[in-house]
Amino acid sequence: MQDGASLSNEEIRDLVRPDHVHRRAYVDPAIFDLELERIFGRLWIYVAHESQLKKPGDFVRTSLAGNEVLITRDEAGQIRALYNRCPHRGARICMVDHGSSRLFSCPYHAWVFRPDGSLATVPHRKSYPANFDLDDPQNHMQPAGQVATYRGFVFANLAENPPPLAEHLGPMTEVIDNLVDRAPDGEVDLAEAGFILEYRGNWKLHMENAADIFHPSFVHNSSVSPARKAPPKASIIDQDQTREMMLANGFGIKEWEGIQLTGFAGGHSSMKSFYNSGVLVHEDADPVAVRYKAALDERLGPERAAAVLAMRGFNNIVYPNLILNAQYQQMRVVIPLAVDRTLVHIRCFRLKGAPEEIFHRAVRFLTTLGSPASMIFSDDVEMLERCQQGLVSRAGPWIDFSRGLDSDLRDDRGQVSGAASEMPMRVQFKAWVERMTAEAA
Amino acid sequence: MSTAEMARAVEAFILREARLLDRGEFEAWLELYAPQGIYWMPSQPHQTDPLGVPSIMYEDHAILSMRVQRLLEARALVLTPMPRTTHLVSNIEVEDTDGDEISAQAAFICVEHQGERQRMFSGRHAYQFARENGSLRIKMKRVDLLNCDGVHAPITIPL
Ligand code: FES
Ligand SMILES: [Fe+2]
Repeated sequence: MQDGASLSNEEIRDLVRPDHVHRRAYVDPAIFDLELERIFGRLWIYVAHESQLKKPGDFVRTSLAGNEVLITRDEAGQIRALYNRCPHRGARICMVDHGSSRLFSCPYHAWVFRPDGSLATVPHRKSYPANFDLDDPQNHMQPAGQVATYRGFVFANLAENPPPLAEHLGPMTEVIDNLVDRAPDGEVDLAEAGFILEYRGNWKLHMENAADIFHPSFVHNSSVSPARKAPPKASIIDQDQTREMMLANGFGIKEWEGIQLTGFAGGHSSMKSFYNSGVLVHEDADPVAVRYKAALDERLGPERAAAVLAMRGFNNIVYPNLILNAQYQQMRVVIPLAVDRTLVHIRCFRLKGAPEEIFHRAVRFLTTLGSPASMIFSDDVEMLERCQQGLVSRAGPWIDFSRGLDSDLRDDRGQVSGAASEMPMRVQFKAWVERMTAEAA
Repeated sequence: MSTAEMARAVEAFILREARLLDRGEFEAWLELYAPQGIYWMPSQPHQTDPLGVPSIMYEDHAILSMRVQRLLEARALVLTPMPRTTHLVSNIEVEDTDGDEISAQAAFICVEHQGERQRMFSGRHAYQFARENGSLRIKMKRVDLLNCDGVHAPITIPL
């Protein structure tokens, strides 16, 4: 069945073994449709950050389970998710990615909506039937599920009765906490500009790659090697940050074994102790870091501040499609377009109350790692596309993710392993099977 | 040097840069940049801030030389097979030809071929030159891609 017909739960379960997954999970459009319905259509999906929605009328346009949606703040201050479609004849209403507007007017026949989706006016009211009612929800921009926030992060959920957001996030709330706690003012702002990359591959490939700490030694060799040959501290614009970041992928066995991966129920995972030298907050007497630490000490007290800064997670995966790096204030949102096409939105945050240079370093981090011209990420993208190209071939249908299977441990929070383990991928596929075969909530 | 001579020299310089990139002579290309020279490809139209707003590239000589090294080692996955390019530069206008500060603008199209794929980039260049011992060096090259804030695939060969 590769022609768009739905799969039975039995067939879905048969695709995933403890140490292997069938290639169909990446190439079958029928599976992709089911993922939109059962994963992106039922889980809490990150859609916006509250710093983009400061006042009534502020909005962002994004994608939710294959639909274009507007996330708005309404007149009452509540955040809403609305399908970006006119209930009259179906036209797309908003054509920009973000902005502020107290009224959304459909350009076709000029129905005008409020930021909560309700219909404010229609021109030539008398030509509509007598029973045409502005207050009839059928005539409103349709709500795209429910919205909930956790410390500024806005999530939407299309399910009827979703579990509370905090339950879905589980231990991943710690990552969001850590990001926000790093701000001396206790708040972060999403930087307005970022990057959008498209790759010709399945969305899961990126989620797996972000939790794969085995590949950098091979894939990123081409940036490690030039960085090793380059003299230190030669750059006049970035305090050597680019070179250090390129070098950081060239770790040896010792660093490798120091990296700890933790996998959680629900498909989440975290990665500790990578890029340890402190690309943003240098360990040595960096005057910017000193000012930043002082500001943080003042707010949290030295002990708490030290604990906040000591939490060094690199890529933290919030299943299914959010990747957060609190230590360097980075975020990626993975948006599936088709079974073999994916967008990656790459953004960074400003720690409010921190010296401006800390933000500049986060921006530099974003550029070095996430720009389309990145000397690092471009090679990841190439690998994701090559995987997709390889998976199209029907030969040998099973993909192996067994590495570390025998050595993974459990602790009280989840599954723990060393960097060489493919445990995060197994954890993601465990959640995948659960979600793909679950009854609608 | 007369204004007309200077304009011709700038034009020849810009065309030479395009040729060096097309031929993969990246070390010679880097020589065109002053030691303090900067290559800037903003991510936003009309971007003025290179530090607080991310750029597709904002690189000085030291960072560019790592990029050149990576291009020359030619073992990056994304550079396999090595892309081939045609950099077409036109509409060159040279400004302020008196004194040591010279600037120029141009429009460009770059066609890149790699493997099964051919792509096209386009936009505008803005150059600031310094004159050192009679020869020109780039102090700043700004590349405003038409789709700078759009959806991108990896960009490898400088534009
Ligand atoms: S389609 Fe929107 S008003 Fe007619
Ligand atoms: Fe990578």
